[in-house]
Amino acid sequence: MSCQRLKKWFDERYDFEGIRSFTKHKLIPVHKYGILYYTGGLTMFLFALQFITGMVLSFYYVPYHEQAHKSIIEIVTKLNMGWLFRSLHHWGAQLAIGVLFIHVFGTLLLKAYRKPRELIWITGFILLAISIFFGLSGYFLLWDERAFAAVRVATGGAGNLPVIGGFIKSFLRGGLDVTGETLIRFYGFHVSVLPFFTLLLIGIHVLLVQYHGMSIPLSQKDNVKKYEPFFPNVLYKDFILWLIALGVVVTLSVFLPPEIGKKADPLAAPPENIKPEWYFLFLFQTLKLFPGDIMGLNGEMIAIILISLGILFFFLIPFLDRKSARDEKSTAFTWIGIIYTVYFVVMTIIGFIT
Amino acid sequence: MKEKMLEKIKMIRDRKIKIAIKSSMFLILISFFTAISLWAEEQIQVFPSAPYDRYIIYQALALFWAGIIGLIVIIRMKLKEIERTQDMGIDKEEKDIPFLD
Amino acid sequence: MRLKFSLITRREFLNTLFGGWLIAFLSGSFYALLKFAYPTLGKEPDFVVLNAKDFTDIPANSVKPFPWGGKLGFIFKRPDNKTVALKGVCTHMECNIAYKPEDKKFYCPCHKGWFDMDGKVIEGPPPKPLEFFELTQEGEKLIVAKKGIKVELPKA
Repeated sequence: MSCQRLKKWFDERYDFEGIRSFTKHKLIPVHKYGILYYTGGLTMFLFALQFITGMVLSFYYVPYHEQAHKSIIEIVTKLNMGWLFRSLHHWGAQLAIGVLFIHVFGTLLLKAYRKPRELIWITGFILLAISIFFGLSGYFLLWDERAFAAVRVATGGAGNLPVIGGFIKSFLRGGLDVTGETLIRFYGFHVSVLPFFTLLLIGIHVLLVQYHGMSIPLSQKDNVKKYEPFFPNVLYKDFILWLIALGVVVTLSVFLPPEIGKKADPLAAPPENIKPEWYFLFLFQTLKLFPGDIMGLNGEMIAIILISLGILFFFLIPFLDRKSARDEKSTAFTWIGIIYTVYFVVMTIIGFIT
Repeated sequence: MKEKMLEKIKMIRDRKIKIAIKSSMFLILISFFTAISLWAEEQIQVFPSAPYDRYIIYQALALFWAGIIGLIVIIRMKLKEIERTQDMGIDKEEKDIPFLD
Repeated sequence: MRLKFSLITRREFLNTLFGGWLIAFLSGSFYALLKFAYPTLGKEPDFVVLNAKDFTDIPANSVKPFPWGGKLGFIFKRPDNKTVALKGVCTHMECNIAYKPEDKKFYCPCHKGWFDMDGKVIEGPPPKPLEFFELTQEGEKLIVAKKGIKVELPKA
């Protein structure tokens, strides 16, 4: 058998026994919140799908402001299966971000960030930021009215940060205003900078998870029914979930292909009732809460500073939550987690309805 | 005997709750996304409009789902088989089994 | 002879089934991916717009060619003065067909296929009838479209 010989060839050169025994010994605890262990793998699968559909879309997309919009119309109307792959990339992104948020809030609420897993939280946090920037840069590539307005608002918002704001704004825009230069820049981010760091960080994130093993929520420490081997039991369950997710993405893509908006016009006013993508709605809605002028200060700047502080606090939670680091019950941070989650959900829904 | 029964009932209940959580998660997600696409105005045909092409697409989609469901069924069968051998405790010592040829 | 034991174990059977199914599923998905990644060659248009003036004075019982994408199309004035449009390509091996006014038939010289005026196969190897289009006139424009297509002319 050539297969046996190939196996021998590798066995003589590499220590597969170590890997094999490692996979055999990786155990997944079974308890009430066990389903949340699957959200990470699902996010990774959806990201892989994005990489694949994105690669083929890049064969046809033209990142130049005069042709970008036209090239998308051409992909959708003229190419074999073009409408499907654009749709897949769109729905894949929506679902990936959705599952990612479930993963993040699940981790937050079950305190899976606690010692010794702080670095997993940090890599995850950076991945979340990258994913959101992926979304923003991705939909700017459509070069339609909505994307144009959204990027103006988002980069302008970053510009309100004290001291470094102006620098960040010009860096992102590639100039003083959002122009064709911004499109090329965002294309670069979207297809080379962000994917590289995503791969790197996912690698670290997953390796660290292997190193530490799965975190068991404090409340479930004594309620673990049994341990399931990761390979093959949990991996097969992962496969089932991935297949369902793939089916959902394809079905949504067939029945609800995204429309193509009007080509962006830098001089025209943005259309009425413009809204960003749903994962920006909570920020969008927060900005709306602040009046333009608070006691003589720029309201928007205060809003941006408060949002940044909120995000910074979120980032530092594993280091601030001293109690759960000692494996003690930490009610305060349970409430903080709930507040973050509820705030996100409620603001998204409000942004949606209004 | 009674304890075993109770345990089983509990297991079934847990499973039901899990299924409910799973399906409600999907439902929420899907309803979110359908609402998003509703605001978009209709302009350019983003879906092949010839009935023949549409027929082929729907057929392919049905076939695709058949493939997925088939795979899921097979994976579940494999899982059951694996769990059966694990319960018997014979999955661990495969290495030492002598060859019989 | 009846075997007392199965020659393959349940596990082997499941593994083969799983592997085979997975390969079929993945290759199906991969095919779609390749179809998009590979350049789209000679895809037929959904409709073409012609200048109506060029096609007004076709004598009865004759055809006038027009470009259908990269392929041949015919505007065909039937002996009963009805005007129709069809694709001038044989359904067998994609040779261009010709109209024979004396027989009132379409003829494919490659493998001697014959079609009647409605595109039905009368003789020879072609497997399917000829493809007819929908013909509409909008002012100066003559629009030839695939059947069932909603034609949306670009404005301006």
